[in-house]
Parts: sequence; C-alpha cells; structure tokens
Amino acid sequence: MSSVAKGTRRGVGAPNRAVSIRIVLGVFLIVYLIVLPSYFAESRYILRVITTASVLSFISLGVWLTFTIGRINIGQGAFALIGGYATAILSTKFGVSFWVCLPLSGLIAGLTGIIFGLGILRLKGVYFAMITLSLTEAVRLGFLSGGDFTGGAPGISNIPLPDELGLFGITLIPDFGKVDTHIAFYYLAAVLLILGLAVIWRISSSRLGWIFKSLQQDEELSRSVGINVARYRVMAYAICCFYGGIGGAFFTVSQQSIYPSVFGVLDSLFFILYCFLGGLAFVAGPIVGAFLLFILFELLHEFQQYQQLIYSLLMISIMLWLPNGLLSLRLPAAFWRSRNIRD
Amino acid sequence: MKLLVNTFRLFLVGFVLLAFGVTTSQAANKVLKIGHIGVMSGPAASWGLINKYAALAGAEIINEDGGFEIGGEKYDIEIVSLDTKQDPRVAIAGAERLVYQEGIKYIIGPNVDDTTRAVLPVFEKAGAFNICYGWHRELFTSPSKNTALGMIAGYQSAPVIYKYLKEQRGVKSLACVPRNDASGLNSRDSCVAAADQLGIKITSSDSTYEPNTSDFFPIMGRIIGQNPDLIVLSGVAPADAPLLIRAARELGYKGLMSTETAMDANIITEIAGEMANGYISVGGASAPELRTDEMKRFIERYSKVAGEWNDEAGTKVYALEMLLQTLRVAGAAAIDDIEIFKAAMPKVNAEDPFIKGGKARLKWVGQGYFDQLRQVSTPMVITEFKDTDFVTLFIGYVE
Amino acid sequence: MEQVIVNSLILGMNYALIALGLTLIFAIMNVLNFAHGQMYVLGGFITYYALQVLHLPFVVGLVASVVVLVLVGLLSERLLFRRAIRVSTREESTMLLAAGLALLLESLILLFFGEKQRGMPPIISGVYQVFGVYIPAGRAFVFAIALASLIGFVTFMQFTRPGRALRAIAQDKEVTALQGVNINRYGALGFGLGAGLTGLAGSLLATIFAVNSGLGTAVSIKAFIMVMLGGAGVVSGAIAGAFVLGFLESFGYAYMPGSVTYMLIFAGMIIFLVFRPQGIMGKPWG
Repeated sequence: MSSVAKGTRRGVGAPNRAVSIRIVLGVFLIVYLIVLPSYFAESRYILRVITTASVLSFISLGVWLTFTIGRINIGQGAFALIGGYATAILSTKFGVSFWVCLPLSGLIAGLTGIIFGLGILRLKGVYFAMITLSLTEAVRLGFLSGGDFTGGAPGISNIPLPDELGLFGITLIPDFGKVDTHIAFYYLAAVLLILGLAVIWRISSSRLGWIFKSLQQDEELSRSVGINVARYRVMAYAICCFYGGIGGAFFTVSQQSIYPSVFGVLDSLFFILYCFLGGLAFVAGPIVGAFLLFILFELLHEFQQYQQLIYSLLMISIMLWLPNGLLSLRLPAAFWRSRNIRD
Repeated sequence: MKLLVNTFRLFLVGFVLLAFGVTTSQAANKVLKIGHIGVMSGPAASWGLINKYAALAGAEIINEDGGFEIGGEKYDIEIVSLDTKQDPRVAIAGAERLVYQEGIKYIIGPNVDDTTRAVLPVFEKAGAFNICYGWHRELFTSPSKNTALGMIAGYQSAPVIYKYLKEQRGVKSLACVPRNDASGLNSRDSCVAAADQLGIKITSSDSTYEPNTSDFFPIMGRIIGQNPDLIVLSGVAPADAPLLIRAARELGYKGLMSTETAMDANIITEIAGEMANGYISVGGASAPELRTDEMKRFIERYSKVAGEWNDEAGTKVYALEMLLQTLRVAGAAAIDDIEIFKAAMPKVNAEDPFIKGGKARLKWVGQGYFDQLRQVSTPMVITEFKDTDFVTLFIGYVE
Repeated sequence: MEQVIVNSLILGMNYALIALGLTLIFAIMNVLNFAHGQMYVLGGFITYYALQVLHLPFVVGLVASVVVLVLVGLLSERLLFRRAIRVSTREESTMLLAAGLALLLESLILLFFGEKQRGMPPIISGVYQVFGVYIPAGRAFVFAIALASLIGFVTFMQFTRPGRALRAIAQDKEVTALQGVNINRYGALGFGLGAGLTGLAGSLLATIFAVNSGLGTAVSIKAFIMVMLGGAGVVSGAIAGAFVLGFLESFGYAYMPGSVTYMLIFAGMIIFLVFRPQGIMGKPWG
C-alpha cells in the first residue's frame, strides 16, 4: 500500500501503474460491497464477522496514525468507550438521532483526545505506552463509578437502532429496524471503513503525512525547521481518538447496549497488534491485521480448548518471521516489474 | 493490494468450507444440538468452563444410555460450545454462529449479566431460547421472553438466609462486600433491601473491590473496623471467597460470613481451611447427603470430563436436563420452534433426579419474581462449610 | 490506623517482589514484558502443584518455581526476543511479542493446571498481635523472605561482577559492548534472572494470595504502574514505586468507597507522569 502511495506521489510518471491500481481497487470494492454481502446475505453470522472486523479495522486506523508520529498508543479503548457512551447517553437520555450521535461521538472523543493529548503527548516510547494504558483503565473505572448518568456496572441497554435519515422527504438511509439489520450494519461499517481509509490515505500521502513522519524520525529536527511539533502531534492524536469514538458509537448501536468493560486494556492492545501484523509501513496494515486476527479466531472455534493456544502460536510466529507485517511480503513479480521498467 | 484480494479469497474459501464441511455423523440416532456460550479464557474462565463441563457430562451420560427420547424418537445430544472471551463482540459473533450457522435453538449461557445483555437481541431475533446465569431481573421480565434464569438469584436467597441467621444466630448488623461488577453490585442492592426489610442494620455496603484483587487485607480492614455480626460477600467469585474469608479471620474477625452463590468446597478447603468453618453459601444438588445415584453418576462423569469435581456444578447440572425435559413434554416439533417449547413450559413437572427426598420437582418457576415462568427450579440448598465439606442447613424452593 | 500502615508495608513488600523482575528485564533488554503476570502465575502454580498435589515441602516448591521460570526466561530470550530484536525495524515489536507470549503462557497454564483458583494454607499458621495490630504469621514469613531476596538481589547487582555488567548494560548497551562484555550472554542472564525473580514472587505470594490462570494481565498492569511510578529500568525505583502503590491502595481502600481508589490511582499516575516522566527515581528515557 505504501508503494501505492509512492506511486501516486510520483503520479505523472506512472500512468500504467495508476491504472492497474485502480483496477485492483475496483475489484476489491466490488468484492467488498457487492459480492460478499450478496453471497452471504443469508448467512448472518459471516456478515456479522466481516462487519465487526471492518469496524475494528476502522478503529485501528486511528492507532496507525499515532504510530506514524512515533507513539505506541494503548489508549484507543478509552476513546472507543467514550464514543460509545456518548452515543448511548445522547440517544437514550436525550433522544438524539443516531445520525447526529455518530459524528458527535467522534467529536467528543476527539476533543477529549485533545485535552489529554496536550499533557501526555510530551511523553515518548514506553512511557507514552504505559500512560495510555493507564488511561484505558482510568476511563473504564470512571464510567463504572458514574452513577445514574452512565448506568454504573450494568451500563445502558435498550439503545435504539439507527432511525431513518431523510432530506426533504427523501429517505437517504432507511430505518434499521425495518430492513435487514445485518445488511444495514454491514454497509454502515463498509462505508465507515472506506471513508476512514480514504481519509487516512489522503493524510499520509499529503504534506501533513510527511510532517507526521518527520515527528517519528526526530522531533527536535522537525522543530528546528519550524514545524509546530506540539500542534501536529495533538492533531494526529485527536484524529486517532475521533476514529476510536466513531467505532465505539457503532458497536454501541449495533449491540444495542454498552457497559464499562466493553473496551479494555486487552482491546487497546489488540488494536496495536492489528497494525503491527498488517505492517506499520502500510496504510492498509491495520485492516489486514484486524481481518486476519478476528476471522482467524472465529475459524479456530473448531479446535475448542486449543483455540487460544493455536491463536497465540500463530501470532508469535508472524511476529518472529514477518516482523514488519504481512504486507511486507513481496508483492507479485508483475507488480514490481512494471515499476522497475519505468524506473 | 493484491495481497488483500488474495487474503480475502482465502477467507472466502475458509468460510465456504466451514459452511458446508462439518457435521455428517452416521449415528443411528438423530442428533440434537444444544449450544453453550460462555467465557472460557481469561480471568473468569472457570464460570464458562463449569457450564461446558456440566453440559458435556450430562450429554455423555444420555448418549451412553442410548439417547434422549422425544416424540418416540431417540436423539443423541451434541454440545456445541463457544468462548466469549468476555468480549461482547466475540459473544455476539458466537451467538450468531450458534443460531444461524449451526441452526441451534436452545442454548446454555452466557454466565454474566454483561455478555448476556449483549447476546439477548440476537437470540430474541433468531427465535432461540437460552438459560443464562446473569441475574438482573430485566433479563427475565417481559418484553424479554426467550431467556430463563438457570440458578437461584441473590435477591431470592438473600432474604431467606438473613431471616434464618436473624432468628437462629441473632444477627443484628451486617456489612456487604460486593465485587465491583454488574452481578456483584446487583446482589449488593438486593442484600441491602432484604436487610432493611428484616430490620438488620447495615454497617457498610460501598466497600467494593475490583475483580482480580489479590490482597483483601485493605478492604477487609475497613469492614471489620465497623464490627458487623455478619459479613456478606455479594456476587463473590468462587476464587475470591476463600481469600476474603482468610483475610477477615486473620484480621481477628470472629463473626459470621455468608454469600448468595454456589461455592467450591475444594478451593475453600485448600486456601482457607478451618478458617472457613461456618461460612454459609447456597449450593445445588451437591451436598453429599443429598446426592441421588443419578447425581453421583453425574459427579463421576463430570470429574472425568473436567479433571476434578466442582460443587458449583451442582446448580449447573439442571440446565441441560430442563431443556430436554421440556422438549420431551413439548414434542419433536419444538426442536425447531421455541414457541411450542414456551407453551409447554408450564406443563413440565417431573421428579428432580439429582436430589434425594422426593420433594424436589423439576419445573419452571419464577412467576413471583418475573411475572412469567422463566427460572429453572434449582433447589436452594443453604449450606454451612464444616472442615472440608458443606453441611446442609435447610432446603428452600423458589416459586 | 496502625493496622493500615502495617498493611501498606506488607503489601508494598509483596509488590516490590513482583516489580523487580519486570524492571530488570526492561533495564537489560529494553523489553516491556507483557508476559510478566503470566510468568508470575506459572511460578505460583508450580509451587501449588509441588505442595498440594505432590505433597512436597514448601522449599522444594519454591526452588522448582524459580528454576522452571529461569528456564522459561532463558528459552524465551533465546528463541523469541533475541531474534525479534535483531530482525525487527521497530523496538515496539518486542512488546507485542511479549503480549503474544502472555497469551501463549496463559492458554498453556489453563490447559495444564485447569480453570480453578488454586491456593494453599499459610506456610506458618497463626496470627501475631502487636500493639493491637494483627500480623498473620504467613504474611510475616513472606515479608521476611521477600526482604531477604531483595537485599540479596541488590547486593548481587552492586557487588558482583555479573551484577556490575548488568548495570552497565542497563546504562549504556553500546559502550558496555565496546568494553568487551558479551551482550548476548548477559541479556540471557538478565532475562533468566528477571523471570526467576518473577517465579519467586509467584511462588511466595501464592501462599497468601492464591493463583488462577487468568490472573496474569492484572498482575502485569500493577507491575507496570509500580515500574512507571518509580522510574522504568531502575531497581531502586521499582521498589519505591511498589511501596507507593502499597500505601495508596491500603489507604485508599481503608478510607474511600472501593471503586474510586483505583480510578484515583490511575488518574494520579497520569498526572504525575506528565510532570515527571522519569518517575520518582528514573533517568529520563526516550
């Protein structure tokens, strides 16, 4: 995927490659948006698995962005929880429509991220990792002791499904309760993921992306060439938290309930793992990682009590033999050949 | 990008294989699949595993005897068991796998309020029926109709236990130590309500502890400072109970202690030993003097499946039995339609095969609590720990 | 009040024992060992098995736990971390590898030792009562052994040749390597020692806290807090952090409603680290 990004940057010189990328992208979109949902229309379980993996990928995309500024972020679970509770409270206590709650949850998580980020982004390395891990726990305990407002330990249930979204009497999105909810949530997740990926892709291949990467290399150096380091790293972190908030809102409404342990330290850790397994150098890394790991876990059901054992062994093997991610596997020869000729 | 497509293709193939591959057994009997879903890894692993082992042991015994008869036909029981990892996303995926992929209508689990809440909409929508071990009343009252409580809830046993302790042991004040999760806090609230009604003074109810606490000295220190006659461990995990008991005794506490849930005698003996003497808890058909031959056989089989007997399974033995008994009453049509099953629920009334005395019945109860019959008639066996085992104080029944 | 202070001291000492292994591995290898808690649990289970199943004396269980954990540490260093450090372009990958190891150990422990909580009666029974303060003999015993091991460990680090080499590596790996110290061998030693200490902690504390297969993550998180509070990679820091956490927890639970305590500890730690990233005693890192 990074070679793809490089291609677009080189742009003018590689029209053929750009075309082949478009074709691959098109095929991918057709499979994702048309083939999969129609093939599995009757199999709700598989739809649900792909839906969940999509939104987990979406949340991990945010974590991936904090990796580009050189931070290990084990705090994404906290923001997914914040987004989730925002949607739960707004929709049950104030009757706000889900379509308002969704962006609002992202914004609330993003704003909270800015407030926290101003303080904690001064830390680096393991210290940042640990402080974000503590943040996950602190936020979970905060919601746990939130009294009536957050519903305490049992949380909030009976959260309504997304209602109809219309404009001038034309239905843009139907009421989820009146259509096949699995298909509806599948498409909601798919749209979120595609938009989310597009935005992150755009960021990482723009000037902003280069600034982020320069922060990862050397913050002092970046500062010396006149980059406002503090502002840019808070910006990256806020975008990350925004993704977390949106993802949390999605899960809240798709499972129609939320409670404090919905997202915990383990979830935060898994978001990082997804990025790693896919490959940190690639925008699509978190997506490949999340799909692989989540679906792998489901496939291993057949092995009953050995499920977790096999799962962890596979995880370790990938870390050992593909330390830079699955996507670091060589792309097919034809793909490279066309580029080499051009070079 | 190509890789992505490749990966996807791989997944597709995997799914298709899964969808068509499995389960072609050549047994003479038809196969009846019963689902189990629960947490079987991580800190709470024991909760789900007990249910799984109990269901497996029950199924093995039935299959060994030639299957279970419903509508004149014999069925072999197959348990399909899935781990929730205590994660609502995994739980929902698992629930949908059971109901849609495996076509299962009757499910045992989940074990806690949290994940039960997450999977309920799935079962409701797919028309599946489950017996769960979360407690919250909301789960069993209308409009929720497809879930039944598999054991005695804290709000049912608490008043009975306190009344007994007030009358027989002169308890005038008590302190609650709840585990800080949905089940613990819920059970704390029912403890407070029951004590209020009986006029027992509550010295403390907000000293919660986090799941996974290992040192209970700090928390017990505070409780004992107020010197209550009785310390109630609300929603306590079987793992925490002996440690709490030990901490209290080591801090010089001399009074009574009790809980509303089932405990494991082996663990208590190992960790607390004689310090746990007098500890009052609620068991099922596990107390040695109550066991029927049927129960002894179950215990033997359970020990083989799980490696070791666990007294908590004395309340979990009922879930599979109740599902099957009700299916027998409802007839074979109910296997694919839970409406027929639900209609037959009031008609179930058989002798409890696991407990001696002939007084206990297998039936659906809970009318008084939930306004519908959504609870398994697990006997409420109030026991007291003595040396290495539980001694029965008295047996109660929920109506 | 006296009781609370005594509780804090005992708890702090227990925690110090837990934190040492983690901070050692971190100092030497720069690996944040997410499998720390699972190693602790393994140590506890081995002692349990020796005592309750094989009916061996406690000393045997203790030694067995330490030996097995040293082996686990050496093996995972040799087979996993050494390679990961060499091939990976990012240092974080060792952290995630450790997370993978944590899952692996957890599932193995679950398979071998089962799902039940396991424990044993105190090694010495009875309760001392000093000035109205209750001190269970079992806890006093663990306190004494923990104190002895702590002193032993610090002496080893300060006054022996391998100890000095380890400290040198912790301070500056490259320079130490230039001095002719075999980094690989000492890395293995550090990892083995760290894991062994964790096994010791698990073994001792299992006699008062009991263990279960899922306890690991919680132990890891607590150990992280202590190490971060004290200053990562500094032995004295880990001990300081442990006692601070012991006091906070004891006083918090004694005077506040339960769930608030840990929320305040986490929030306090975040604020503390924002203003003093190097912890109580650490050097600035990263």
